[in-house]
Amino acid sequence: MERNLRKIERYLRNQDAISLEEQANLATTRVIVVGCGGLGGMVIECLARVGVGHLRVVDGDVFEETNLNRQLLSSTMNLGRSKTLAAYQRVLAVNPLVEVDTVQADLTDESALGLLADCDAAVDCLDNIPSRLVLQQAAKVAGIPLVHGAVAGWLGRVCVIQPGEDLLGLLYPEAEEAQGEEQQMGTLSFTAALTASWQAAETVKLLLGKPGLQGEILEIDLLRANVDKIKIS
Amino acid sequence: MIKVNTENYPWHPGMTVRALLDEKLFTFRHIIVRVNGEFVPEEDYEKQLIQDGDDVLVLHLMAGG
Repeated sequence: MERNLRKIERYLRNQDAISLEEQANLATTRVIVVGCGGLGGMVIECLARVGVGHLRVVDGDVFEETNLNRQLLSSTMNLGRSKTLAAYQRVLAVNPLVEVDTVQADLTDESALGLLADCDAAVDCLDNIPSRLVLQQAAKVAGIPLVHGAVAGWLGRVCVIQPGEDLLGLLYPEAEEAQGEEQQMGTLSFTAALTASWQAAETVKLLLGKPGLQGEILEIDLLRANVDKIKIS
Repeated sequence: MIKVNTENYPWHPGMTVRALLDEKLFTFRHIIVRVNGEFVPEEDYEKQLIQDGDDVLVLHLMAGG
C-alpha cells in the first residue's frame, strides 16, 4: 500500500501527459539502451524518471577525461570506472522502482540478438557506424523498433526504425566509414542532451502506442536554431 | 525546381551534384548525397547531373554518441 502511494506521488507530474493506465503500462516495458555515453546517459535518465519499468544498459567502456564535457553519467569522481555501473547507480538513486540489467561489454554480432530478444524497444546511443549496423540488424531479427540518435558538434539526428526498415543503410552507405563529422566537430553537451531527450520521447511514444516519427529523419541544427523533418520515401 | 531535403530549390540546366553543394554551401567533409534515393559517391559529384524535379537528399555523415 505504502509502495503504491509512493509510486503515485513519484509520477504525479507525469499526468495527464501520461495517464495512470499508460504509467502502469510503462512499468511493464523493457528497453535496451546500447551505449551509455553522451546520448545513452541522458536517455537512461529520462526513461528512468518517466517510469519505464526495466532498463538494460550496454557499454564496454569506462569513463575518461574527454567524456566530462558532455556525458551526464561521468564525473571527476568516476573516471576509469564502468559506464554501466554509473548508469545502474544513477537509476537506483533517482528511481529504485526501475529494474536495471547492466551489460559491461560492447555489442557484437554474437551477443546482439540475445540482448534484444526480450525487449520492447532498443535505443541506439552508440558512437560508431559498424556497431550501429549490427544493432539495426539485431532489432530487425528481434522484431522490435530501434530509436537511432547521432550527434556531431551542433548537429543532432533522430529517427525511428521499424523492423525491416533500413534507414541506417541510407544514412551510412559506405561500409568502410566508422566515424563521421564528429571526428572534426566534436560533440557538445547540449546537442547530446537534446538529441537524447528526443530519442527518449520517441521511445516512450513507441511503448505507449502513440504516433511518432515514421519514415522520417529529424535533423537538429542548434547553431542555426533549426529542426527539419525529412520524409524518406 | 528541385527538392533539397525539405526545401524547394531552383534548378538550372547542367547542374551537377558538386555545383549544388557549392551553391548551398555544404562544405563539411563527410556528406551523404542521394538523388531520387540513389546514393551518389563523392567521386561522381562533378559528373552526376541533377534533373529538373529531382529529389535530392544531402545529409552529414555523423555517428557520435
